[in-house]
Amino acid sequence: MWLWYSWQSAAVVNENGDFLDIEVNDGNFSVQGAKERLQLVAQGNLPPEAKLLLERFPEAKPTPHGSETLPEASYPLPTDEQQMAADTAALSIAEEGVAMSAGDPDRRLEHLLRASDELRTLHLTMEARLVEWIGLFLPRARFEGDRSGLAKSMVALSSLSELALLLDVEPAYDDPSTSEWNALHDWGCMVANQRRQLDRLEHAIRESTESHLPSVSALVGPMLAARLCVEAHGRARFARLPAGTVQVLGAEKAFFSHIRSGTPPPKHGHIFMHPWISRSPRWVRGKIARMLAAKISIAARIDAFEGTAWGDDEVDEVEAKVTAIRNEFSQPPRR
Amino acid sequence: MAGSRRKRPLSHSVLQEGRNLWTVNANPGVAVRGESLRKFRGVEHRRWDPNRSKLAAGLLRTRKDPSILLPEEGTTVLYLGAGHGTTISHLHDHLCGQDNESRGRLVAVDLAPRFLRDLTYLAHQRPGLVPVLGDARKYDAWGVLVPSKVNWLFQDVAQAGQVDIFLTATKRFLAKGGIGLLSLKAASERQQDGNENEVFAKAFDQLEEHVEVLEHINLTGFEDQHALFVVRMR
Repeated sequence: MWLWYSWQSAAVVNENGDFLDIEVNDGNFSVQGAKERLQLVAQGNLPPEAKLLLERFPEAKPTPHGSETLPEASYPLPTDEQQMAADTAALSIAEEGVAMSAGDPDRRLEHLLRASDELRTLHLTMEARLVEWIGLFLPRARFEGDRSGLAKSMVALSSLSELALLLDVEPAYDDPSTSEWNALHDWGCMVANQRRQLDRLEHAIRESTESHLPSVSALVGPMLAARLCVEAHGRARFARLPAGTVQVLGAEKAFFSHIRSGTPPPKHGHIFMHPWISRSPRWVRGKIARMLAAKISIAARIDAFEGTAWGDDEVDEVEAKVTAIRNEFSQPPRR
Repeated sequence: MAGSRRKRPLSHSVLQEGRNLWTVNANPGVAVRGESLRKFRGVEHRRWDPNRSKLAAGLLRTRKDPSILLPEEGTTVLYLGAGHGTTISHLHDHLCGQDNESRGRLVAVDLAPRFLRDLTYLAHQRPGLVPVLGDARKYDAWGVLVPSKVNWLFQDVAQAGQVDIFLTATKRFLAKGGIGLLSLKAASERQQDGNENEVFAKAFDQLEEHVEVLEHINLTGFEDQHALFVVRMR
């Protein structure tokens, strides 16, 4: 015996397809009414008619419309008006779902991180051009120590000779024309502005990652945590990745070249950014990367399944392990 | 046929003109994705780009009667893996027409909120289009929107196990004698399943066990590593 149900009606049916009881709802639904019922069914709950029938036939197995286990029968279909209400409701449900996707921190983090990557690339290119451009007019000026200071100091200036004075170098042999200086000055202001924007982006990334991935952030810092999470396509998937994948996330090129052509496998992907690996001697990096990836993996699972976030104690334990590996292999392996 | 500019109607609102397809615009004056609009005998048509739509590519490539690839006007059809809605919009032109004069229903399911954003926008302009944000495999959540079995079903989900998903969907939603179209992306299957020809051959055999395979249309040239399978429900 089955309890057939759709969003608007329900029926109790036996093996032969006979209706033992039926609750047909052929009234008109408001869009809101249809929407509530569609959402009820989508969540696997029973509409009111089905609940009523289940009280009368507790042994009937609730089965949604269209299921293959149901016997053939002429189940009451929605009327045209009901179907139209359901269609409008479906559109509204879809729109709600789309709007709700803005609440997904993974999507937001991805935009933040990609934006900061794109802006950083642009910023470095533009800054390099600025340094070259100024260098053409003021060949004695050197910026090796502080490239980003140049753009900042240009903002308040109104001519190249002021800049020469500020940098304490000889004025230009041939000054730029007013329009040329304006263009150059605009360029400098833009570079200075980008620096500020970058800081803001990174601040936002840190803030959002520290609440989204507290344990991973505590372990390897929020910037690296954010990158790993985005590279893994979201926290839920990040938590499900094996530690070996976490270890080589970001080294896809080397990894697939290893699989295809047998080149040496990569030892680390994005996690190389962490000083525990990049500041360790070459011969222990792989060992530390393997251990650290396993710990990141555990931390990601704690965050995804909302366990108690890691604090300093746990991070100190991992750091002790890093030190232990470094000490145990303090000499390069003999060839 | 190639090179000839003779116009051939494939349906009431789908027109083939040499290597181009056109559909009567159900939302006159508006191009969905920047496609060209042109009037034939005073009726505005939208160009249906076969490089963007696997269904259009299939219509041009098929060696059989192209009209069997299209659903009957004014019916309910199911489209799994709706994407941005390029194919959907042309299908809507054919199935529903302006202000849904044919009273068709096009239930379009996709998993990605990004795609649904475009689809819901489209649905407001095109009555008859019912967008659903959901998993093509978890039809208990949205299956009640398809009260009776349909005579036309299209699936274009780029994920592993496309044939299994398709067969389950046809069993659940496709009426006897109904036409099902499966757009198969070879690159979405697991690597160990072999190259694209092996994937297609395997899919063919697997389909043949459950449904009648009418045609295997290779879309190379329009969409590489893709094939369109046309099946009829037994």
